[in-house]
Amino acid sequence: MQLLPEYKQDVPRVERFNMVARLTHWGHTVTFLLCLFTGLVLFLDGVDWLAAIFGGYSGAGLVHRISAVIMTLVIVFFVVFDFKGIINWIKDILRFGLNDIKFLLVFPLEFLGFPVKVPPQTRFNGGEKGNSIVTSTCVILLVLSGYIMWFPAIFPAGWVRVAYPVHDIAMVFATVMVCMHAYLGSFHPGSGESFWGMWKGTVRSDWAEHHHATWYEETYGEKAQTDEAE
Amino acid sequence: MAYLTNLYDSSRCTACRGCQVACKNWNQLPAVIEPFRGNYQTHEDTNADTFTIVKMIETEDPVDGVIWNFLKYQCMHCFDPACLKVCPRDAYTKTSWGATVHDPDKCIGCQYCTYACPFEIPKYRKREDITTKCTLCADRVEEGLQPACAATCAPGALMFGNRNELLQYAEDRVKHLRANGFPRATIYGKMELGGLNKLYVLTDTPDKFGLPVDPKVPGQIPFWKDWVQPYIGWLIPLALAGSATSFVTTRILANKHGKHDEGGHE
Repeated sequence: MQLLPEYKQDVPRVERFNMVARLTHWGHTVTFLLCLFTGLVLFLDGVDWLAAIFGGYSGAGLVHRISAVIMTLVIVFFVVFDFKGIINWIKDILRFGLNDIKFLLVFPLEFLGFPVKVPPQTRFNGGEKGNSIVTSTCVILLVLSGYIMWFPAIFPAGWVRVAYPVHDIAMVFATVMVCMHAYLGSFHPGSGESFWGMWKGTVRSDWAEHHHATWYEETYGEKAQTDEAE
Repeated sequence: MAYLTNLYDSSRCTACRGCQVACKNWNQLPAVIEPFRGNYQTHEDTNADTFTIVKMIETEDPVDGVIWNFLKYQCMHCFDPACLKVCPRDAYTKTSWGATVHDPDKCIGCQYCTYACPFEIPKYRKREDITTKCTLCADRVEEGLQPACAATCAPGALMFGNRNELLQYAEDRVKHLRANGFPRATIYGKMELGGLNKLYVLTDTPDKFGLPVDPKVPGQIPFWKDWVQPYIGWLIPLALAGSATSFVTTRILANKHGKHDEGGHE
C-alpha cells in the first residue's frame, strides 16, 4: 500500500512554499509535538509513564519550556525573514468566498474518499484557510497564556486565572487541527502532492493547476507570465 | 472522625506574634525581613517561609476613634479546597480530621493552587521550585500535640480542638461580645466556602479584618476544572478516530471507484 505519492523530479514543478515558510512549518511541528506530549503529562492526570519519557515531571516541564521558547523564536524568525509571506498568507485567508464554502460543503465526502467535484481554489483551499485561522490563533493564544502561566508574579492574578482554561482550550483545538492536518497533508489519498510542497517546496504544475486553479492561474498562468515579462 | 479546628479569638489576641515565631520554629523556616511600612505588621502577606502572620489593621472611626484590629492569618483549610482540586500532581490531601496538607515531594511549582485559592495562600518558594503553606501542624496533631501556634498562644486567643465544641464556644463568645460593646461581633469560617476548618471570633465585620466577606473560588477555576479539562479534551481522540476512519474508507472506495485522479485536496 502506497502511503505517499512518489516525488517526481522529471515533470514541470512550481514553487509552493519557500525555505522560510518550510523551516517555520517544521520547526513548529517539532516544538508543538514536544510541547503537546510534555503538556499532556499535566492535562491527563496519572500518566506517569509519559512523564518518565522526558525524565520525570521536572524534566517534562523543562522540555516544555525550552520547546515553547523555540516555538516563539520560530514565529519571530518567520516575521523577520518572510514578513511579506505572512501578509500574503493572511491576504489569501481573507479571500474566503463562495468557492471556499462550496469546498467545505463537499469536503466531508472527499475526506471519506468519495469522488467529488470541487470549484477552483485559491492558494489555500477552504479547509486550509480554516486550519490556518484556527491553528495560528490557537498557537498565539498558547504562547501568550503560556508565558503568563510561567511568570504569574508579573501579571495580574485575573489574567493568570484566565490563562489556565485558555491554554487548555487552545491546546485542544490546535491539537485537533494538527491531527487532521497531519493526516490530510500526508496519508490521505486526495492530498497528493501537498506533502512535497511543504517538504521539498515544489509541487507538480499539473497538480497545482488542478487543485488550486485560481492560485496557479494568478501565479504561474499565462497572464502572470506576460505581466512578469512587461 | 470529628474535625479538629484551630479557633482564633481576635478579642483575646494581644498581637504578641508568639504564634509567628512558634510556627517558624516548628517548621524550621528562615527569617524573612521586609522593609518597614509604617505599622507594626511584620509582613505584608504570608510568604513561602512565613506560613502565618498577625495582621494589624488600623481604622479610624468618627465615634470610636482609632481602632486597631488584629488578625492571625494563614491557610483556612477549606472543607472543599480549590488548591486540592487544581493540583495536577495531587500534591494536596485532606486529612480525616480536616487539615489540607501539601506534599512538597510531589509539587512541581506550577502555582495553579496559588491562583485558585480564594485567599491566595499557597506561596511559591523559588529556591526549591515548590509552593508552601500552613499544614495545621498535621505532623504534631497526629502525634497528639496541638499546632505550634495554638500551643504557644499566651493570652489564649488560639484554641485547638473539636470543631463542634469550638463552634459552640465561638457562638457563646460572640453573644458575650455583642452584649459588651462589640455589636457587630461575628463568627468567620462557619459557613464561608461551605465551611472552613479554621474558626474566627471577630469583634467586627470580616472586612474590618481584611477578610473577604463572601469568599469565592474564582469562576475561571471551576470552568477550567469541571468543564474544559474533563470534556473538551475528547475532541482529540475524535479527530484521531476520524482520520483513522478516513484512512480505511478512502482506500476501500479507491478500489471501488478506481484510483484517485492523481491526488485531491489536502
